[in-house]
Amino acid sequence: MSEFDRRAFLVASVGLGAAAVAHAVTTGALGAQQPAANFAPMEQGAYRSTMRPDKPGATPKLSVDERDALEHRIKCQCGCILDIYTCRTTDFSCQVSPAMHRDVLRLVAGGYDAPEILDAFVQTYGEVALTEPKKEGFNWAGYFVPSIAIATGGVVITLLLRKWGAAARSAAEARAAASPVGGENEPGLSTADLARLERAMREDA
Amino acid sequence: MVLVGELSLWIALLMCAWSVTLSFAGGAMRRADLIASGERGLYAGFGFIVLASAGLWTALITSDFSLRYVAAFTSANLPVVYKFSAFWGGQAGSMLFWCLILAGYAALATWANRRSVRELMPWVTGTNALVLLFFVATTALASNPFEHLEWVPADGRGLNPQLQNPAMAIHPPMLYLGYVATAVPFAFAIAALVTRRLDAEWLGAVRRWALVSWVFLTVGIVLGMWWAYVELGWGGYWMWDPVENASLLPWLTGTAFLHSIMIQEKRGMLRKWNVTLVVTTFMLSVLGTFITRSGVIQSVHSFAQSSVGNWFAAFMIFVIVATVWLVAVRLRDLEPHAQLEAMISREAAFLYNNLVLVGIAFSVLWGTLFPIISEAVRGSKITVGESFFNAVNVPLGLLLLALTGIGPLIAWRKSSVQNIQRQFVGPAGFGLITGATLFVLGIRELYPLMTWTLSAFVAGTIIQEFWKGVGARRQMYSENAVIALGRLVARNRRRYGGYVVHAGIVMLFAAFAGMAFKLEYDITLADGESYTAKDPYGREWTFTNEGLSEFKALNREVVAIALRPTVDGKRLPLITSEKRQHFDSRGNPTFQPSTEVGVLVRNDMDVYLVLAGVVQNKAEIRVNFNPLVVWVWRGGLLMALGGLIVMWPQSEKRRRQGGYVTELAPAAKMATG
Repeated sequence: MSEFDRRAFLVASVGLGAAAVAHAVTTGALGAQQPAANFAPMEQGAYRSTMRPDKPGATPKLSVDERDALEHRIKCQCGCILDIYTCRTTDFSCQVSPAMHRDVLRLVAGGYDAPEILDAFVQTYGEVALTEPKKEGFNWAGYFVPSIAIATGGVVITLLLRKWGAAARSAAEARAAASPVGGENEPGLSTADLARLERAMREDA
Repeated sequence: MVLVGELSLWIALLMCAWSVTLSFAGGAMRRADLIASGERGLYAGFGFIVLASAGLWTALITSDFSLRYVAAFTSANLPVVYKFSAFWGGQAGSMLFWCLILAGYAALATWANRRSVRELMPWVTGTNALVLLFFVATTALASNPFEHLEWVPADGRGLNPQLQNPAMAIHPPMLYLGYVATAVPFAFAIAALVTRRLDAEWLGAVRRWALVSWVFLTVGIVLGMWWAYVELGWGGYWMWDPVENASLLPWLTGTAFLHSIMIQEKRGMLRKWNVTLVVTTFMLSVLGTFITRSGVIQSVHSFAQSSVGNWFAAFMIFVIVATVWLVAVRLRDLEPHAQLEAMISREAAFLYNNLVLVGIAFSVLWGTLFPIISEAVRGSKITVGESFFNAVNVPLGLLLLALTGIGPLIAWRKSSVQNIQRQFVGPAGFGLITGATLFVLGIRELYPLMTWTLSAFVAGTIIQEFWKGVGARRQMYSENAVIALGRLVARNRRRYGGYVVHAGIVMLFAAFAGMAFKLEYDITLADGESYTAKDPYGREWTFTNEGLSEFKALNREVVAIALRPTVDGKRLPLITSEKRQHFDSRGNPTFQPSTEVGVLVRNDMDVYLVLAGVVQNKAEIRVNFNPLVVWVWRGGLLMALGGLIVMWPQSEKRRRQGGYVTELAPAAKMATG
């Protein structure tokens, strides 16, 4: 390594370092940041009432198990990604899922069935209240694009494999026709060598 | 030391800029002095980042609350181990941690190849330094852990209680070690494209780095699952959370690469595809970091929204454009040396394996980003939850499991019908008998039944391969079975290490299927009261509340419950679950109460206990019976072990010494065109 390069490196390093520090100090580059949290904060004020008037002569249409299953389809709005059943039964600190649960209880007692209760939550919070997108409109793209992409990939690979296979067969036939003695093998590779190579490649897999 | 660290970060930025400039210039002008200077710049950058990291660790350990980061993520009474791990507990610190690992890897890659692949190295060093420059610049300018507060608080806010867990002290470093290692193969790919040296040389250099990344990602993902299981308290280990998905994406494409690289090594095929996979894996690592830090997608454990997201978006666009252009201008150099010869061949099986792996990665990415896409198209937010991901990915996972068994049974180049019959009859028979037995025993759920049938098939292929290999050695060398097994693995670590990884995959899938039978009970118990519940195997368990207790420990107040489980008249060890309220050094509560679950680990299932709360001296408890969970951790461990066996450096030397491959290489090259 040349002397010039080493010296240039050191001089430039020190010079540039000093310049950068001076720049940082004078421009206050360190002071313009947002505070960061190590977890997305819970939004305990995210609850909004989802009340509806009771239906005339209301009787609950859902059993306890059906109600719990329904709660698995409604997302807690506290900032977690859990449904309200899972959140309220495992996260004691969340105040949103118990409040949403109380709304579910009132709606069930008011005679509403599962689709009506889901609709009520969607009206209050938007579609983000559901743990999975409704199967309608553009949402179908969410469900089908991966499958279509993979099926297309499968077709492409199969077609390519066929094409390559046909090309390889043609090439082998051409080689065999061009080889006056010894059959199908390339010059320099005996049948015994080819067998050993095949075995080695298998062992090497 | 803190001031030294702060200044070192800025000097490291300049060292990286120096290294990028000199390395690229040296590579383009073929000047050894510039190349060497660029390499020294990288080493110096690494040194200064080490100093910067030491500075931050010093500030954390000594509770220097004049730094915003230290005040935000530690408190004076935080146990030292968590002060240490707070380094990566917040955004700015974790960015510096990224830089530290990346600089270490880049320096190691440069040093390890100081005498080999010299034509590639200036571009490798320059690319690594460029990536490092981006991360150091983002850290220094947008997320600086050395930012000072205008006043010095008496105590810090403390670390989030959910991060005060041994798994969380290890899980992020493992993931980062995996994410960041993808940068080195990326740098080699760029170097190979620039220099047009796209033969097997660059692949040889990157294979081990790809394995390093894969092993660390595997360990990191499994540790993350374990952390979620024991810390978040919802009774599962995988929720398809965006941050979880972000870690899975590079793992999937990295796994695809580790399979397809074999085709290029052996046949000179899939050259474009391998370059694409290397670049994609790196981009997905950066995307994962972007998702975690940008705040664009809601997640339970993402960092708060911040401006670094813009930096990442710009960087990703730059890398994608530059790489696509580079690949486009080198397409002619990426033509294959050979072509696939038959549909029924190992190569074809690997291609389908790649399709499924990349397909799963795409569907996970699609599901993760679909809320943003939907909002852009329709203007309304939606949630894509667990059920969506399971609907799409469970069938694909089963297909992947089947291919895990099929691939090793098919020969390279071409398989005959007789060969296929001979290879498949044992494993397929084992799988079918297992499936039929489970059906007779009453398992009617489609996915679990298919999973266990296919798991038995794959296990059959692995056992068959080991059985044949050991049998051959015993016959040839008169070794006993144990020695034959040891030497079989030692002589061909890539192959048999791969089978160990497959065995780990089988364990994981079998354990995943077990969770289809989990049972949950929500119960309320006063002191001394009991509750009886049936587990998925039909046994009756009685849980007796042995009492609630309240105590102070370290930096928290604890309410704990102890349940005594009894099954089949046998008393088992107590299971305890806690509610914790953390407080700072002046006794003020910090954060919301958190839960520590209690788990009784058994081979057949976990008994999982969560203290949800205490109302009028009665404990509200969730009890889960989670079948086969312990096999998830064992499977993950086995996969990592298999990865280490594959990675072990001596294997290739031995392989070359002992095999026919070198001897026949010239002829083979002619034969394959």
